[in-house]
Amino acid sequence: MVSEEPLVEVADRASRRRAIIVTVFALAFLALSLLAPPVFRAGDPIVQRMNARMWAVSAIFLLGILATGGSLLSPKRLRALVNDDVAHTNRRTAIGAGYWIAMAVAMGLYIVPTFRDFSAREAVFLIATPSIGVALLAFVYLERRAHRDA
Amino acid sequence: MPDRLRNCLREYRASLNLTQAELASIVGVSRKTINTVENGVFVPSTVLALQLARALGTSVEALFQLPD
Repeated sequence: MVSEEPLVEVADRASRRRAIIVTVFALAFLALSLLAPPVFRAGDPIVQRMNARMWAVSAIFLLGILATGGSLLSPKRLRALVNDDVAHTNRRTAIGAGYWIAMAVAMGLYIVPTFRDFSAREAVFLIATPSIGVALLAFVYLERRAHRDA
Repeated sequence: MPDRLRNCLREYRASLNLTQAELASIVGVSRKTINTVENGVFVPSTVLALQLARALGTSVEALFQLPD
């Protein structure tokens, strides 16, 4: 007879795993944005279009993780434990950090004189990339802190 | 946030020989929640505080206190 693992233990592991996966996603997103930016580079239009689509899909996917906490395919009870009060609070704090980064960059783009004007796409890229990255990494930091000594 | 609420959750849990995971199972929250409450990182909601007090057979006031 196989003994069933307590749901709390499964949720604990899923939550720790999520912190690792989100770290990898966030770093991959920032690296992709840095190495293959969808804007600021002249080149093959097909490659540029592909970069732009990849960036947009990644950004939307990561925003989805921030909005929901992920684990959408997990059973309802497990999802409720993984996305409990602490995770909600951590997510809210992380989204707040991302919001202020977005505002700081947006104000910087508006106020600080630059050598050229930015297109709407370039501005969106400059605002969204660091704010999504910071929000995800802040979420991971808070989650890892919550798991410490557990 | 942590200095706004003191708690004796760890002491009460230990006195009943419960692990964080066991208390989490009884209350229906994650182990992370029990851990963060014990460490003063997370201030629990009223509902969670009442559930913790009930699970440990004590009162909310015995578990959580405002600093003097």
